[in-house]
Amino acid sequence: LIFLVHGMSTSSEQPVQPQRSFYRRFMAIKSNVMMSLCVFATICILALLAFVTLYLLYNGFNYLSWSIFTELPIPPGMAGAPGGLKNSLIGTVILIGMASVVGIPVGVLAGIYLSEYSTGSWLGAPARFIADVLTGVPSIVVGIVGYELVVVPMGNFNGYAGAFALAFIMIPLVARTTEEMLRLVPRSYREASIALGATKNRTILHVVLPAATGSIITGVMLAIARIAGETAPLLFTALGSRLLTLDPSHPFPSLTVQVFSYATGPYKDEQNLAWAGMLILISLVFVLNLALRLTAHHLQRNGPTRA
Amino acid sequence: MSDATPSAAASMPGGVDRSLVRTGRGISSDSVMAGLSQLAALTIFVMLFALLAVLTYAAWPSISTFGWKFLFTSQWRPNELSAPALDASGKVVMEDGEVVMRTLPPVFGALPVIYGTAVSSLLALVFGAALFLVRLSRPWLAVPVSFLIEFLAAIPSIAYGMWGLFVLAPFLQHYIEPTIRSGLSWIPGMNAWLFTETAVRAGQTVVRTLPLTGRDMFCGGLVLAIMIIPIITALSRDVLRSVPRAQVEGTLALGATWWQSAWEMLSYSRSALFGAVMLGLARAAGETMAITMVIGNSNQIHASIFSPAQTMSSLLANEFAEASTELHHAALSEVALILLLMSLLFNIVARKLVVGSDVHPSAAH
Repeated sequence: LIFLVHGMSTSSEQPVQPQRSFYRRFMAIKSNVMMSLCVFATICILALLAFVTLYLLYNGFNYLSWSIFTELPIPPGMAGAPGGLKNSLIGTVILIGMASVVGIPVGVLAGIYLSEYSTGSWLGAPARFIADVLTGVPSIVVGIVGYELVVVPMGNFNGYAGAFALAFIMIPLVARTTEEMLRLVPRSYREASIALGATKNRTILHVVLPAATGSIITGVMLAIARIAGETAPLLFTALGSRLLTLDPSHPFPSLTVQVFSYATGPYKDEQNLAWAGMLILISLVFVLNLALRLTAHHLQRNGPTRA
Repeated sequence: MSDATPSAAASMPGGVDRSLVRTGRGISSDSVMAGLSQLAALTIFVMLFALLAVLTYAAWPSISTFGWKFLFTSQWRPNELSAPALDASGKVVMEDGEVVMRTLPPVFGALPVIYGTAVSSLLALVFGAALFLVRLSRPWLAVPVSFLIEFLAAIPSIAYGMWGLFVLAPFLQHYIEPTIRSGLSWIPGMNAWLFTETAVRAGQTVVRTLPLTGRDMFCGGLVLAIMIIPIITALSRDVLRSVPRAQVEGTLALGATWWQSAWEMLSYSRSALFGAVMLGLARAAGETMAITMVIGNSNQIHASIFSPAQTMSSLLANEFAEASTELHHAALSEVALILLLMSLLFNIVARKLVVGSDVHPSAAH
């Protein structure tokens, strides 16, 4: 339940009392001026952001078509150009899949550690802090690490390196969300389980985790939305490709890199394709955000539930 | 009694669920679980270490070649260059009627990109901070507005980049920048500072009018500002929400006006707010895709914010995949290392400030 402390107090303050002194009147006027400035700033920002979003949506819908999902890119100048984004959509899904296979278990386990085991350990607080700091590391730097650790040993740009970089970004995010969601599970659940004679392990696996599963899944989805939109770490790991490939040991296509190269390229119809690709990305982010928000609301209002 | 554990209740028709009873096996699986999760937590340390170690290793040739000079020189020349050899008086040396050429080795200096990063993020902050008071007032719209702002904070940066490239840059080029130029032309020196550039052509210094492209430092700063506003807003909202209610009620009970009480809230949480702004700054400094698309990508320091520039991240995005020599790679890795250290510093300081106020900065990706 989002309520602003100040939003509440505003209403109780609104009727301005009859003022006697000049000072009081001055303060009241100043207050109203500042409040209008704040409202004005809010409106400005929202208008600006709404303009940006609506423009993206408008253009995206304009150029969206079914062939985007079913056709491969066709080089400019050939019949049927620019084709579609099928290869990069598949590529993104595979990249996300590979990153998740590593990122989700490690992230969730780290989250479990932070929430359930870290009390009284030297590891807890620093790990939490570093996880937070890692979420702020510029993603292009992660891309370079992926290049040095995977691309250089393997000898060419490849999908594994891209997945590595994405997993790198994902782990701290998943760890922190999992921790926060587990902390929402009431203490009494754990106490009851322990009191019944369950081990700590059983308590976590059978009581605490199930109670938070729904929200952990949404948290994970949010991390997925985040890496789905990442371009920078893929530029010199997966590199991108205009071919349909299922073999991650070669340069690998992804939606974001494709959109980037189309958008910065000279061809109008490819730029249009980029708008449509952008719309697909943004819709994904929107849906996942909405899901998170709804579960978070549900959790806060009704307490933890099973998925 | 068993109802207290919801998961057990389902699998428990009567009596005690066997799986919940401590058995011999349970103890060992207990330690397996603890070990695994501890391992996962250690991974986080390893990740930080890997970031630092790998980048330092990759950057070593550059660090050992250029040393501290790397930070303060502004040449960025990945390839060997042939130039006419000059004698002591600065004249071109001729031999048999031909100009004698000399070869200049590749040189790398990070100053232009450090400058570019600093200026573009500061511009972002100036534009952003002007509007940052937002969250003080939202009595009715609180829920939808905060959802919107969180959603905007989650939009991929390449989306902002596309918008900047196709909408903002042409708009600035055709409308805003000419207007600024004619609007400021009466101030002496302003035109020379903002709208001319000095180029060295064949040994001669040429001053010419700056071509306005719209893809420049100004546009980069604006796009970054638009991107970090939702982040700063979401964070400072969280910060202000954590101001104790009693504090606010106290000011109201003393007869404070809305603004006086708001000011009280602001000063109560000012260090955390400062942290929120710093996180926004860190995000702006590390931002890659959007800035690469709009900043114009020129490896030189220009005095004017209306000329193309380059940031550390955009330099990496542009050149890393194509770098062919070892030294070029190393120099780019060193740029990445500088970027990493800078963002670590910003993040650590900012999070200390924000966490000090008991807020989880979950909105800052």
